[in-house]
Amino acid sequence: MNAEALRLESTEASPPLLRARGLTKVYGSGPAAVRALDGVDLDLYPGEFVVLLGPSGSGKTTLLNQLGGLDVPTAGDLWFGSLNLARASEAERTLYRRNAVGFVFQFYNLIPSLTARENVALITEIAARPMDPEEALRLVQLGERLDHFPSQLSGGEQQRVAIARAIAKRPAVLLCDEPTGALDVRTGVAVLEAIERVNRELGTLTVVITHNAVIADMADRVIHLMDGRIQHQRRNPQRVPPRALQW
Amino acid sequence: MSLLDLKLWRDLQRMKGQTLAVALVMGCGLAMLIMTRSLIHSLETTRQTYYRTHRFADVFVQLKRAPRSLVPRLAAIPGVAAVQPGIAVQVTVDLPGLDEPASGLVRSVPEDRPMELNRLFIRRGRELQPGRRGELLVSEAFAEANRLQPGDPLTLLLNGRRQEFRIAGVVLSPEIIFEARPGVSLPDNRTYGTFWMWESEIAAAYDLEGAFNHLTLMLAPGASAQAVCAELDRLLQAHGGRGAHARADHPSHVRVSDEIFILRTISIGFPTLFLAVAAFMTHAVLMRLLTLQREQIAILKAFGFTDAQIVVHYLKFGLVMATLAAVLGTGAGIALGHRLVALYHLFFRFPELHFRLDLAAVAVALGVGALAAAAGVATAVRKAARVPPAEAMRPEPPARYRPAWMERVGWGAYLSPAARMALRNLERHPAQAFFTVAGLALATALLIVPNCFRDSVDLLLGFQWDVVQRQDLNVGLVEPNSPAALSGLRRLPGVLAVEPIRAAPARLRFGPRSRQLAIVAVPAETLHSRVINKHWRQLSLPPSGLIVSAKLAEVLGARPGDLLEVEFLEGRRPVCHVPLVAVSEDLTGLGAHMELQALNRLLGEGDRVTGASFTLDPAQRAAFLRALKDIPQVSWVSIKDSLRANFRQTTAASINLIQRMYLAFAVVVAFGVVYNNARISLAERARELATLRVIGFTETEVAAVLLIELGILTLVAMPLGLLAGSGFATAIVEAINTETVRLPAVLTLRNYSFAIATVATAAFLSALIVLQRIRRLDLIAALRAPE
Repeated sequence: MNAEALRLESTEASPPLLRARGLTKVYGSGPAAVRALDGVDLDLYPGEFVVLLGPSGSGKTTLLNQLGGLDVPTAGDLWFGSLNLARASEAERTLYRRNAVGFVFQFYNLIPSLTARENVALITEIAARPMDPEEALRLVQLGERLDHFPSQLSGGEQQRVAIARAIAKRPAVLLCDEPTGALDVRTGVAVLEAIERVNRELGTLTVVITHNAVIADMADRVIHLMDGRIQHQRRNPQRVPPRALQW
Repeated sequence: MSLLDLKLWRDLQRMKGQTLAVALVMGCGLAMLIMTRSLIHSLETTRQTYYRTHRFADVFVQLKRAPRSLVPRLAAIPGVAAVQPGIAVQVTVDLPGLDEPASGLVRSVPEDRPMELNRLFIRRGRELQPGRRGELLVSEAFAEANRLQPGDPLTLLLNGRRQEFRIAGVVLSPEIIFEARPGVSLPDNRTYGTFWMWESEIAAAYDLEGAFNHLTLMLAPGASAQAVCAELDRLLQAHGGRGAHARADHPSHVRVSDEIFILRTISIGFPTLFLAVAAFMTHAVLMRLLTLQREQIAILKAFGFTDAQIVVHYLKFGLVMATLAAVLGTGAGIALGHRLVALYHLFFRFPELHFRLDLAAVAVALGVGALAAAAGVATAVRKAARVPPAEAMRPEPPARYRPAWMERVGWGAYLSPAARMALRNLERHPAQAFFTVAGLALATALLIVPNCFRDSVDLLLGFQWDVVQRQDLNVGLVEPNSPAALSGLRRLPGVLAVEPIRAAPARLRFGPRSRQLAIVAVPAETLHSRVINKHWRQLSLPPSGLIVSAKLAEVLGARPGDLLEVEFLEGRRPVCHVPLVAVSEDLTGLGAHMELQALNRLLGEGDRVTGASFTLDPAQRAAFLRALKDIPQVSWVSIKDSLRANFRQTTAASINLIQRMYLAFAVVVAFGVVYNNARISLAERARELATLRVIGFTETEVAAVLLIELGILTLVAMPLGLLAGSGFATAIVEAINTETVRLPAVLTLRNYSFAIATVATAAFLSALIVLQRIRRLDLIAALRAPE
């Protein structure tokens, strides 16, 4: 499917932040080869909230890994500004992750030996133009629990610390892999609110992977993946606030 | 292969680095145990067989001269099974290729009957041919040192007369497994040998026809050597008997026994230490490895495997390591044991010294290895098995942490996040930190021991040859002589200084204890054979009284102020009571010193000397030695440099080999411990570290998190290791405390530096490996659910 054809108005007035062309990832070789990504063309714009949907094995996570500079494609190009992540060195990709990308994981992946504030400060100490850790935590409504260790926080709180950690560097891109996968509905909503707020207030391109089709309603754009290809995309006429989501 | 075994096999392949490290450490302990125990076993069984087949005597006595007719009376002493009278005389040997005079002992071979005791083993050539004159047999050590072969000529000075002989054979005797000049602790086989010739030939030269001056006896089973010796002394007193002694005082026997004692000390100390470290490390490593398999154990339990099945499955983990260690350890132990045995053959002369594997040691080694592995597995599996399956299958909740001690006291601001993580992690897992520190400390400690051994031997030699003996060489006279005999020697070329020496064989007795040795008398303010106190200051010899070495005082149980009974064993054989005035430091042999005049007064023979010590102009040394060869009164020469060189080639070579082997093992262990700790820490923290990489930390920054922690542990472990190592080394080295040799534990900065450098290098290389591994960390896995 032609990405140009799918360009829809509004947010796409500025040039794309990430531009994938013919992005292909093959695992293994010979008859056992698996094409996890199969020639994906995709433009992602600043400030967009994008949800990736698709069954297991459709290539969502592989695509997210490519967007986050964790992996290099077998073929194709992936541009972040003038940096082609498909050809970038390990050091360049590390720098890209460090300054431009925020990750939110399904299982939070906080450093258990650091408090909430320190988990965030870990990033702010190495990023180029970070916000104050406390500010980041306030943004996710955790201003009160700064000095708690992960073991003293609930799952939802831990995930919000993870979001604060991800956005404290003011990343251009926020990548979330099943951020509510391990949480109940109420806590999940609180986490989605935090993500939505970051996207809205900071204008961060946000890409969320989910199995939960309901979450798609809060996105600007929903991309369906199937067998490593973009099956179809749609643009929501209106973003539904997380609080209004029901599952 | 069952599926569990397949899992085991794949897990082991995945952890082959750690598996090999554990097996190597354990293997080192096993190898050392097997090597030393087998060497002892080889020496003991070989000696036992040799003594039995060649009928090594039980009692020995040297005398002036006794008629043959006395033999039946001696044989009738209750408890005596066999008697062999013979002749033994000190001779000077003229070797054309040798600058200095050589000397030796000539022993008689009876012509009318076979040798009943101390039978000879013909290594090369043949026995003495009946009826043929001018033949002799030569001890192997002397023959080899001087490259003598059967058929070669050899000139001896028999009773001052030069006589040409031809070598019939090169032989061994159970009396000289270790061959050295009497009273000398270090051998010089070039200048001292033992020779055998027909009794009639030697009797003629020394006017001993129909007489004997040396006697060896074999005792009946159960007979008391002490009673026989006492009776012999009584019967031989009139014939100049110099005091009978039992096998336990036989120089060669004592030397081999002491060597076995030292080996035994080492073979208990070192391998115990190594096996303890190996067991400890195996235990810790397996515990941590299996903790990583928490979820897998839960899944197995959820599938319905019983705790017992799971324990057996993981026990196989440990047993694979133990088996690998056993194969490596036994192989290395046997190979190194062979090398050691070959080396011991250099200075212990047995007809054959074969490596004999000590199977009991192998069994012990395997048992210890298996137990260590089993204990490690049991602890870990028990811990995992306690967790209900459902709980264990959920990802472990975040571990509880709190600010580290340094932060609680207000220093938190100075800490980087990586340092904070490291410190809190250490406090969170105190047991793990303790085990890691203990493992690293033991690895450090192991390195101290072999080098302490080396430094102690160095100190011993320095003490003996630089502090005590300041002369270049000693000369012994054929018989006690007047000091005038030395004036000729004083005029030889190159002599810078001469000091007279009077040595008198005596038996020192205090209470029930006694020792037979030579009392050495020198001028009060001697510059040559100095008497040194424990502060390494020279002691001035008092005008009367004895100074004995600390070891002799200990053996006799005597202290300064005590009155010792001295029974002289030559001349008029006076028995006197002499006060012990001081105790001297001496690291080899047993020593008793007196002032020259004081000893001569006791002996009542007027001014007499038995030898002299010399310092020489180095440029004229060869000329001096050549001139010495023509002086008939000179019986022997002992040259400090020759002894030193000889020592380097034999004893030092064996000590060095053992020391290097141990050191190599210690280095392997140090690397194994450090490497395994780094690898396991990495495995335990893989997810955390991968997360850090994902969120933008560089490889080096991520490595720092881990390495700061390992670094702190290493820094804590090192001083503890040095302390423990000093303790171990002191215990093991100072356990080497025999009448032949005492080793003071010497702990040098060089030793410590080496241990620290080795552990630091191991840590550095392990850090590189960790960095390499961090480079290969699966970042994507961090995004997935924890396994």
